[in-house]
Amino acid sequence: MLTELTDEQLLSQALGGDEDAFTVLYRRRQGPVYRFALHMSGSSHLAEEVTQDVFVFLIQRGRDFDPSRGALGAYLFGVARNYVRRALERSYADAALNSSADDEAHALVIEDDPADGIARRQSSTALWKAVLSLPEHYREVVVLCDLQELSYAQAAEALGCAIGTIRSRLHRAHDMLGKKLQHAAAVAPGGVSRVTARCAS
Amino acid sequence: MTCREFKHTAASLTLWELSRPGDEQVLNHAEECPKCGAWLDKQRMLAASMQTLQARTAGRQAGPQVERALLRMFRQDPFEATQPVAARRSAPIAFRLSRFFEVGAYVAVAAAIVIGLFLGVRLLEERSMKHTLQSQSSPVPAQQTQAAADVATVEVAPPAHSLPALSAKRGAASRSRVRGDTTKASSLVAGVSQTDDSEYVALMFCDPLSCSSDAQVIRMELPVTEATTDREAQTQVADVVVGYDGVVRAMRMVNSNLN
Repeated sequence: MLTELTDEQLLSQALGGDEDAFTVLYRRRQGPVYRFALHMSGSSHLAEEVTQDVFVFLIQRGRDFDPSRGALGAYLFGVARNYVRRALERSYADAALNSSADDEAHALVIEDDPADGIARRQSSTALWKAVLSLPEHYREVVVLCDLQELSYAQAAEALGCAIGTIRSRLHRAHDMLGKKLQHAAAVAPGGVSRVTARCAS
Repeated sequence: MTCREFKHTAASLTLWELSRPGDEQVLNHAEECPKCGAWLDKQRMLAASMQTLQARTAGRQAGPQVERALLRMFRQDPFEATQPVAARRSAPIAFRLSRFFEVGAYVAVAAAIVIGLFLGVRLLEERSMKHTLQSQSSPVPAQQTQAAADVATVEVAPPAHSLPALSAKRGAASRSRVRGDTTKASSLVAGVSQTDDSEYVALMFCDPLSCSSDAQVIRMELPVTEATTDREAQTQVADVVVGYDGVVRAMRMVNSNLN
């Protein structure tokens, strides 16, 4: 019954004190929020913290949500983006981001299906590192549009900017990612040998 | 389709839309133009990597402890659950210090208010005590003196030589009220005649401190003694100068028969 309700209906019931409605809403929306924070930060610990903060914010300030201005999903991404920014500022201060990102990337390799090709595994790991190294405003459009599969309009709602801005940022981000991946492939053991061979020839 | 149109169309498509077979015109141009074809191949490779990364993180979600913590907060009053557990745990030291100073500021303000109230009460008490003392020691205004029907004023200006220690203030103080046995005193006033001030006799040695304050002159009837039994017809009346402390400073005999 509750699972058939929209996000907005669930939120209004939750704000009225319906715990079941809040639980359904949380279970429906926590995954995307968590993954957004994970892709943005590369840290599962920080992603959990951000997820919790986002839903605490929803409990306390959920009445401020205006459905006429956009969907609840985009609203939650917008809140999450702000919490991620704050958390990343702390993480940069602690210089913990890189190590945690490496840990997550390493965990990805361990969890890999042995049937997968090594190249694909390496490419996805390298891609995540490349995404994490992007400037923040480029990274968030890549995460939202490419990894969360939001449309340009939804991403524009979440980030509070024009669709054209999203489009141009994404285009620029793809170019940067291509260059970074090329560089990573050149630095990798196989890549180094190729470059060396090319230079030798 | 030109290269410019190709770029314009490609820019409006997401990475996923580009990686799938879609617009035939775009595909045809990519096949014809090596530059645009290479660009499209790069985008497709990027999309494939994105898809792999997305698939590997698709099952990731927050742990059950987050849901438990949120439900605990949800059951509480929302205004009480201002600080989530995880956020408090990872709060930077500057934030904690700022909270400490904030609480310290509240305590300081509360202490200042308490001290201010205490001092204010003390000040008011002191003022009220001073006022009481002044009202006791200062003479009653002239209006009140006149309003009192049973009070008579007597002009007494004793010379300085008879009461050497009495200061100039006493001159003003000599315009004083006669209280106490007022009924008798007022009856005496009518018939009293002005006598020489030199008749005043100092009864005690006055030092400047004790005699420089206000004094009152009271006319009183002296009790009949053995010495006066032979003159029963005459009543002995005396003017007595009484200091603020109740000690008689001087007196004079008024030898007039008031009866």
